[in-house]
Amino acid sequence: MIDMHVRPFRLNRLLPTFLLLCLTVWQTGCGGRSSSSGDPSASSSGAVKRVILLTNGDDPFWDAMRTGMEKAAVDFDLASANLKVEMDKNDGTSKGQIDKLKQYAGQTDIAAVAISVTDADNAALARTMTDLDKVGVKVITVDSDINRDKFRSSRFVYLGTDNFVGGQELGRAAKGLRSNGGTFATFYGLSAAANVIERTSGFADGAGASFTKADGLSDNMDLTKAQANVRNALQNHPEIDTLVGIWAYNAHAIVEVVNETGIRDKTKIVVFDAAPKAIQHMSDGMIDAMVVQNPYQMGYLATRLAKAMIKSDTATIQEMFPNINPETGEPTSENGDILTTELRVVVPDAESPLIPEMFNPDTQFFTSEQFNAWLAERSLTGS
Amino acid sequence: MATKNSTAGPGASFLRRHLTEIVLLLGCVVVFAFTAYVNDAYIRLFQYNIQHIIRYTSMLGIFAIGAAIVIISGGIDLSSGSMIAFGGMICCMVISVLAQAIAPDAADPTSGVPSWVIVVAVCSTLGVGVLVGTLHAWLITIVGLPPFVATLASLVGLRSLALIMTKAVTKWQGQQAFKINIQDETFMDIGSVWWIPLLIFVVVACLAWLLMNRTIVGRHLYAMGGNEEAARLSGIRTDRLKWLAYCMGTMTAAIAGILFSSEVGSSDPQTQGVGYELYAIAAAVVGGCSLQGGVGRITGVVLGALFLRVVIDAVAKLIGSGSSDYEGLIVGLLVVLAVAFNQLSDQAGGWKKQFFPGLLGWAAIPTIGCLVGASVLTPEGNPLLGLIAAAVTCVVLSIMKLAADFAGKKEA
Repeated sequence: MIDMHVRPFRLNRLLPTFLLLCLTVWQTGCGGRSSSSGDPSASSSGAVKRVILLTNGDDPFWDAMRTGMEKAAVDFDLASANLKVEMDKNDGTSKGQIDKLKQYAGQTDIAAVAISVTDADNAALARTMTDLDKVGVKVITVDSDINRDKFRSSRFVYLGTDNFVGGQELGRAAKGLRSNGGTFATFYGLSAAANVIERTSGFADGAGASFTKADGLSDNMDLTKAQANVRNALQNHPEIDTLVGIWAYNAHAIVEVVNETGIRDKTKIVVFDAAPKAIQHMSDGMIDAMVVQNPYQMGYLATRLAKAMIKSDTATIQEMFPNINPETGEPTSENGDILTTELRVVVPDAESPLIPEMFNPDTQFFTSEQFNAWLAERSLTGS
Repeated sequence: MATKNSTAGPGASFLRRHLTEIVLLLGCVVVFAFTAYVNDAYIRLFQYNIQHIIRYTSMLGIFAIGAAIVIISGGIDLSSGSMIAFGGMICCMVISVLAQAIAPDAADPTSGVPSWVIVVAVCSTLGVGVLVGTLHAWLITIVGLPPFVATLASLVGLRSLALIMTKAVTKWQGQQAFKINIQDETFMDIGSVWWIPLLIFVVVACLAWLLMNRTIVGRHLYAMGGNEEAARLSGIRTDRLKWLAYCMGTMTAAIAGILFSSEVGSSDPQTQGVGYELYAIAAAVVGGCSLQGGVGRITGVVLGALFLRVVIDAVAKLIGSGSSDYEGLIVGLLVVLAVAFNQLSDQAGGWKKQFFPGLLGWAAIPTIGCLVGASVLTPEGNPLLGLIAAAVTCVVLSIMKLAADFAGKKEA
C-alpha cells in the first residue's frame, strides 16, 4: 500500500466540491456570455458568427483598431449578415497565437480571423493558419504579416503598415533632428517580434551611417523593466544622445527616465505609435517625433474585407485589392496581396526642424495639434 | 503502510483509495457535459476537440509527472518552465547547428533535415535534462540549499542562459537572433500530431507508475517524502533518491520542451514555458499530491492534468474571445478547492469546522465577496451583476457564520 493517508469514504463529502466546481463553470459561462459584445443573440449555437481580430500582444494601440472594427461593423451592417466583430488579445508569443488559432478551429461560430503575426518566420504558425483556412475560416493578416516569401498562401492578403518603411521614417526623423549623426539606443517588448526586427532595421537604414547603435534592449512587455532598460542604457553608454521607442509603451518609459535624470536638453526622443501618454508627452515637449500607424483604418478595412470574403463579395475584394484574383487568391502583380495603410509623422509644432520633404511622399505629416484634432474626430485617444 | 479502515470491503476500499481520481474523473465528465450542453462545438467538432484536449493534457501531464515525483519525494521543483525553454533551445540548437553543417549552402538548412539529426537533438536534450537535475541534487544534498532556493535559481538562470546561448549560436551561424526557427515538417509533427504527445505521455506515465508503485525505489521515495530523517536512519540512501527525483523532474520538463518547441517550430527562450512550473505543481496538487511530501499517485496526477485541461478548454469554449484572462483565476480556484478538499477530508470533523470564526471570519467574508464579484465582471458586462454577486455572497456567508456562532454557543 503506497498511500499513507487513506481517508474514510463519505459520498456526502463530494457534494460541496461538486457544487463549487459546477458553480465555477456556470459562473464562468455566464460571465463569458455576458462579455460578448454586440448582438445578444450571439451564441455558439446561434446563427451569428464571429469575425475575430487576434492581436500579437496587449497595448492601447489595439483600442483604436477595435474602434475601427466597430465602426465598420455598423457602416457595412454586419449584423444583417449575422456577423459580429471581436478582438482577442494574445500574450505576445507565437505559442499563444497557435493555441488560439487551434481553439478557433474547434469552435463552430468563427467565420474569419484577422491576425497580427508575432513571428513572421514561424513555420508552425503559418501551418496553423493554413489549417484554419482548410476548415473554412477566412484568414488575413493585419498590422504584421507572415513571411511572404515562404508562407504567402497561409493567408489571403495583408493589410497594414510596412514596418520597415515605418522604421525608415523614424530613422529619417532622427537624422533630421541630428544632422551630424549621433548615438542611439532602441527599446522594445520582444526582440524576436517581426515588427521589432523590421522597425529597427528600417531605423538604422533611415538614420544612415552617421548614427551608431549603442544598445537595443527588450523588456518582455514588463513596464517596470522597460524603464530599467532606459536607465541601464544611459548609465552604460553615456554617449547616447537619441532614444528610440519601438513599441507604443516604450515612449512613456523613455520620457519618465529622461525626466528623472534631467537630460532632456541633450537628448532627442523619437518613438513609434501614439499611445495616449505619448501624445501627452509630445504636448509637454518631451518627444521630438512620432511615427504613427493608423490602426483605426486597419480595423475598419479588415472588417470590410472579412465580410466581403465571408459573403463571397468579389466586387468589394476587387475594389480593395485590384491586383489579386479573388477566386484563386493569387496576386496578379508583385505586391497585389498587400494593402498598405496610412503612415504619419507627428512633430510637436511648426517650429520643429522636421519638414514634410524629409519623408516619403506617401507619409502624412502632422503637427501635434493637427493630429489631436484628427483623433478627436474619430473619438480616439491614441493611434 | 497501513490503512485506517481495514474492515471495509474490497469495493469500498478501492473507492477510498482512489477517491481523488474518481472525483476528478466525474469532474471531467460533468464539465465536458455541461460545456457540450451550452456550446455545440463539442458535439459538432467532437473528434477535433477531443484530440485538442488530449494533446494539451499530454504536454502538460508529461512534466507534471516529473514535478509530482519531486513533490512526493518531499521536494519542490520550480524550474520546470525554464527547463522547458532550455530544453527546447538545446533541441533546436542541435538541429540548427547540424543542419547547417550538413547543408551549409542551403537557403534554409533546417527544412528537410535527416531523421538522425532529430534523434541526436532529442538525446542531447534528455542528456541536458539529466545534467540540470544532477545540478539541483548537488545544490540540495551537498551544498545544502533548500530545494526552493536551488530550483528558484534555475528558474531565473536557465532562461537567461538559454537566451545567451541562442544569441551566441545564431551569431556564429551568421545573423544574431533571439530565437531559433526550425522549418522541418517532421520535427514540427512531433508536437502537433495529437497522438505523438499522447504516446509519449502514456509511456512516461506507465514508467513513472511502475517506478512509484512496483519498485523498492518508489517505496523509498514515498518514505523519504513522508519523513526524510526516518528514511535516512532506516538505511535509505536519500541523496541518491533526490538525484533520481530531480532528474525525473528536469528530464520530463526537457521532453515537454522538445514538444513545445516542435509545436511552435521554434525555440524562444524569452517567452517559452513562462509560468508553466505553476501549472505542473497545480496538476500535481489537484491530482492529490501533498506539498508536504509522501502523498500522491501518478494516476491522480494524470487525471489532475486532464481535469485542468478540460476546465481550461471549457472556459475557452464558454467565454470565447478573451478566455485566457480567466485561465489563472480558474486554475487558482481549482488548486484551492483541491487542497482544501484533501485537508478537510483528512481532518476529523473537517467539514463541520467553523470556517469564519471571530474577527478574521468577518474580515474574510467581504474579501471573498469582492473576489466573487470581481470574477463575474467583464469589460462589456454590467457592473451591477458583479455587485449583486458580491452582495449575495456576503449575505450567504454572513448567515452561515451567524448560524455557526449560534450553534457553537449553544453547544458550549
